[in-house]
Amino acid sequence: MSNPPIRTRRWTRHEYERLIDLDVLHEDEPVELLAGRLAVSEPQTTPHAVAIQLVEDALRAAFGMGWSIRVQLPLALDPDSEPEPDVAVVRGVARDHLRRHPADPVLVVEVAHDSLRLDRTIKARLYARAGIADYWIVNLVDRVVEVHREPIAEGRRRWRYGSLSVAQPGEILTPLAAVSGRISVDDLLP
Amino acid sequence: MAGSRIRTRRWTRQEYDRLIDIGLLQEDDPIELIEGRLVVAEPQHDPHARAVELVVEALRAVFENGWRIRVQLPLALGPDSEPEPDVSVVRGSPRDAPVGPPTIADLVVEVADTSLRLDRGPKARVYAHAGITDYWIVNLVDRVVEVCRLPGGAGSGRSGYRSVARLRSEGAVAPLSMRHARIPVADLLP
Repeated sequence: MSNPPIRTRRWTRHEYERLIDLDVLHEDEPVELLAGRLAVSEPQTTPHAVAIQLVEDALRAAFGMGWSIRVQLPLALDPDSEPEPDVAVVRGVARDHLRRHPADPVLVVEVAHDSLRLDRTIKARLYARAGIADYWIVNLVDRVVEVHREPIAEGRRRWRYGSLSVAQPGEILTPLAAVSGRISVDDLLP
Repeated sequence: MAGSRIRTRRWTRQEYDRLIDIGLLQEDDPIELIEGRLVVAEPQHDPHARAVELVVEALRAVFENGWRIRVQLPLALGPDSEPEPDVSVVRGSPRDAPVGPPTIADLVVEVADTSLRLDRGPKARVYAHAGITDYWIVNLVDRVVEVCRLPGGAGSGRSGYRSVARLRSEGAVAPLSMRHARIPVADLLP
């Protein structure tokens, strides 16, 4: 007889939103729904917070008008995921998402120190599965930016990014959705 | 997905009750609250169900009037656990019991095939922490009964109990609250 690991209750995005509506989960609670699991975020260190601001500023300059730069706000990614990436770029203006959270960002950026593993594995698979074409990890441990692109299916439900390039300080990055944008890696690192 | 990487949201017993009240969890969902985690029970196979019946029969013969033999009903153990052990023995009668699940039991029995890891680890800890002095695991994998006693204190290890005796089918066991009784282990195994 097998001895499976302990299984915990999985939640759908619909249930998750009800938990928030009914105030069982407080809106400001540091949780996000990842593949059915209510994941608790680690407290933010000061370099993490600074990096988020740097990313936000750099993306706002690169994308310009007609794009929303959303910081730690939810994405309606799939039926059992509602992550809150550190920064996401979506088409349109803030009021476009009054009724529901956006589902199709053109760029997602996670700032990672302690969360590096999570951001490279579970989150990368979720973002790839949602078809997010451009996913960057600002890696504070190695002081590089990891650029994940070309989401590909690996079997029925498993997705990953087919391309990973690592940008060092001194290099320039261009988002896929803002081809004229030029972002210096140095501007993203605290 | 690598389960251990995500730190999931823990729930209190009060929140758990609220999830049931608002209908996000159904009362008969196969879920127990164990150390704040909403643990999903594995489906019961026939040998499991049979063993539960055998345990109930054996205990009913030993514990007579003045005892409740409860089957898969909740115990309220501390602020973040509400397990539903396969069998629990509680003093008194259901009529004069206070409202809400009992907070202590004289004996708790779990029948384990696929749930062995859970029953030996987190659940044992919960029972030990609640001061349950007599906890039996009817282990269908190895066909033994594991009798866990002396909860808490130094040397209690992973299970939370300082004494764990493995009794084979030729052995017998007496509940701590019914020391004169003698239950052959073979009577508990299907």
